Amino acid sequence: MDFKFDIIWGYLPLFWKGTLYTILISLSGVALGSILGLFVGFGKMSRRWYLRWPMQSYINFFRGTPLLVQIYMVHFGLMPLILGKTNSIAAAITALSLNAAAYTAEIYRAGIQSIDKGQTEAAHSLGMTHFQTMRFIILPQAIRRMIPAFGNEFIVLVKDSSLTALITAPEIMYWAGVMKGQYIRIWEPYLTAAFIYFILTYSLSKLLNWIERKA
Amino acid sequence: MKKWLASAIITLMAVVIVTGCGAKTNNNAGSEASGNTSNSGDTTTYKFATDASYAPMEFMDKDELKGFDIEFLDAVMKQAGLKYEVTNTGWDAMLESVKQGTEYQGGVSSVSITDDRKQTYDYSMPYFESRNVILVKEGSDIKSATDLKGKKVAVQTGTTADILMTKIMGNGDTNLKKFDSNAVALLELDQGGADAVVADVAIVQYYIQQNPDKKYVSIEDNTNFAPEYYGLLFPKGSDLAAKVDPAIKAIIDNGTYAELYKKWFGEEPNTDNLK
Repeated sequence: MDFKFDIIWGYLPLFWKGTLYTILISLSGVALGSILGLFVGFGKMSRRWYLRWPMQSYINFFRGTPLLVQIYMVHFGLMPLILGKTNSIAAAITALSLNAAAYTAEIYRAGIQSIDKGQTEAAHSLGMTHFQTMRFIILPQAIRRMIPAFGNEFIVLVKDSSLTALITAPEIMYWAGVMKGQYIRIWEPYLTAAFIYFILTYSLSKLLNWIERKA
Repeated sequence: MKKWLASAIITLMAVVIVTGCGAKTNNNAGSEASGNTSNSGDTTTYKFATDASYAPMEFMDKDELKGFDIEFLDAVMKQAGLKYEVTNTGWDAMLESVKQGTEYQGGVSSVSITDDRKQTYDYSMPYFESRNVILVKEGSDIKSATDLKGKKVAVQTGTTADILMTKIMGNGDTNLKKFDSNAVALLELDQGGADAVVADVAIVQYYIQQNPDKKYVSIEDNTNFAPEYYGLLFPKGSDLAAKVDPAIKAIIDNGTYAELYKKWFGEEPNTDNLK
């Protein structure tokens, strides 16, 4: 099999730029998604139906429909509505955040509900308020249990960000597609992209392991 | 041992079912027609791949392949007296499998002939003349391709429109938005994310005709957008090109080509540059 390293060489500066955008899009998606997910997660656990129902529907929608369709809906529907025109990077970050929120919401919920009920009862019997119980008893334990699930979600999100190439967010996969178009060759662009994603996700998993040990 | 045998049989059955269902092909025996006698001893069925997402050149009508290219290939292979079949593999798979040349011996998918691509593939003689045009809103200040510099332009990745605009705007310019398909590039123009779309004239005319309320106009630029030619795609070193070229010439000369062209595009072709 012939494999032309020289054409990869020519695209390295663009792959580098693309890598920075992938990191920007993924990090923003993770950060905003985790914050939004917190509200969605607590909303879903609420005893009030008018909080619970919308959040449950939110999770059902974003977990139950293809991310690609969500990306197109945000890019061609939501963004023109807000900005008056399309914007690929803003759409990429928004779509990934909205999607990640649905998954992180369930991680928060699972983490919190995994803590034994007796702990809440014990805290209440010590005179702690609901907020204090959460802050000092439940969350410190729950967060430790959430870390592996979060790590998993982050790694998936980094790879999912490649779908935003289809709305021309200038990240790694986009430049791979551009390179493919120029030479009409498959393996040089796609294997290069795979290699970069692997480096990103592998470093991320090492980092997460370290955090898990520290926590 | 029995368990092992059972699992082997199940695996084998699964493979047969999957491969059996996977490939829906258009089977056409070229030998039906009274063909060119020079290839009459050749009983090989040549397999062609296509990316059927480029109406009116090639597209799927339900589960059937249609379009100018498909009927053109049929006419050529009948003329050459060769058996063939066409499968919709998608663009990427077509490129890779034609390059390898083991499963598919050719590609028919409005592939423009360029020097870069000739490094990896062989082509038939040119069989179709095409040109890129610019699609803009009525009243736009864009009058030629050079006006597009600094503007936001949407194209389909890997098309010659992409190659031409990359040359004009520079590789790495994110104002040139490269989409997976022309359909999405056109949507980007609709939603205000791009000032213009550059694509083959057939696609652009089709879109204007389908959307009269959107007030789009097409702009020709014959200085910056030279005519380009489609060719059948073959693996490097293939002997198929030598077999089909005389047949392509023949159907252009005997009027079959003009007939097909009129059927799909409603006008007489200009074949002066094809020969």
